[in-house]
Amino acid sequence: MTTTTTDLAPLLARLDAMSAELSYIAERQRRQEELFEELAPIARAAVATAIERLDQLEQKGYFAFGKELLGVGQRIVEGFSPTDVHQLGDAVVSILDTVRTLTQPEVLAIASDASHAMQDADAVKPLGIFGMVRATKNDDVQKGMALMVEVLRRVGHGANALATRHQLATDRKAKLAELLGPRRDRKLLGIERPRLTAGSPPAPRTPANPAAACGPGMPAAPGAVIDGIAYTVDGHLVDAAAWSPELGRAIAQLQSVELADHHWVIIEAARAEFAATGASPNIKRLTQVASVSTKDLYTLFPKAPARTIAKIAGLPKPAGCL
Amino acid sequence: MDRITETPRKVAIICSKAGLDEAYPALILANAARQSGIDAFVFFTFWGLDVVTEKKVDHLHVNIAGNPASGMPTIVGGLPGMEALAAHMMKKQMMDLELPSVREMLQILDESGAQLYGCELAMKMFKRTQEDLVPQVKEVITAGDFYDLAVGAQIIFT
Repeated sequence: MTTTTTDLAPLLARLDAMSAELSYIAERQRRQEELFEELAPIARAAVATAIERLDQLEQKGYFAFGKELLGVGQRIVEGFSPTDVHQLGDAVVSILDTVRTLTQPEVLAIASDASHAMQDADAVKPLGIFGMVRATKNDDVQKGMALMVEVLRRVGHGANALATRHQLATDRKAKLAELLGPRRDRKLLGIERPRLTAGSPPAPRTPANPAAACGPGMPAAPGAVIDGIAYTVDGHLVDAAAWSPELGRAIAQLQSVELADHHWVIIEAARAEFAATGASPNIKRLTQVASVSTKDLYTLFPKAPARTIAKIAGLPKPAGCL
Repeated sequence: MDRITETPRKVAIICSKAGLDEAYPALILANAARQSGIDAFVFFTFWGLDVVTEKKVDHLHVNIAGNPASGMPTIVGGLPGMEALAAHMMKKQMMDLELPSVREMLQILDESGAQLYGCELAMKMFKRTQEDLVPQVKEVITAGDFYDLAVGAQIIFT
């Protein structure tokens, strides 16, 4: 019996210790449950609030805006090369300067006033050219015109400066090409015309028949020499001094003109006119110097009177249209 | 020796407009033809009829509006009086060159043996009779008659 009692004592002691631990665990368990019980409503409230907030953001369009913003960013990246962006960086100061000038209160006031006019566009009556002239009597319109002219002047000044810069660049290019010589392709720069055949320069142009080109000032080449007297291709004497009345008669016969006294008066008048002025008289001049009518001239010399008279009188071909 | 008069030549000139710059070329070409021994006849039709109309021949104008060669903007050329001014200036220049007036040119053409014809249809359209035309116009003919006359001729349209 005594052994049982002595065995029981440590067992009881351990049970006692265990009960202390058990109660600790039970206590912890209870606390955790309490914690959850307390936390659950808070968490529920938090989630609900979060959903509500997101919903509000969505309704205000933040997400759509953000999405679009991303799209804009992408488009900018696609549309601009890194070089562009670099240049933009260089120009950013002048851009900001321009924007600052444009956003000055005075400028904005004018712009706002002008845009009011745009809003009332349907109330404005159409204006003709005379209406425009009338409108220029208005002081404000005059001021506006002066302003526009000033803006135009500055834009033009800028454009000119730009053109000068381009011209300088082109000049430099041309000069460089000149220095570099045949190594550069000059054809592309428009300095030299392409040659027809490489190596040989094109032959100078010569008329096929020099006598055919009998413009003023060009000596008429002899077309034929008959009995020692030279004639042009048109049948006029090359040298008026070689003429004699007999020769005149012979030429008249070839022209189917039978010479009478009237004819001789006109021929002498033509020769006198040529001696005085050095030019063969045309029909108008002949009517004046020989005191005959145009009709008489055509009757006496039916075919091309002035020319026929010049031939018979040994004079060059008359020039001019009349 | 004379290659120009070897073959008989003939020109038929149709004058369809009556501006100074349109009438003179026709008349000068006809005159030059006669001077070169070429047979010439001129057919005046449509506005060209004004060139041979007694009341109009001395008052032909030059058209500057819409004419880039005039050197004047169309908007200026269209202003009232500009046409008369331009015609006056051109006539003065022609006088300085001793160019005969249109009436004188018609006279010269007639004397040189060029033949002038009026267009029958245009005459009807503008309600004109042969009495309204200058005496140098030989006859009023139809387009068909014109072709009969123009057999073998070179035809020039101005």
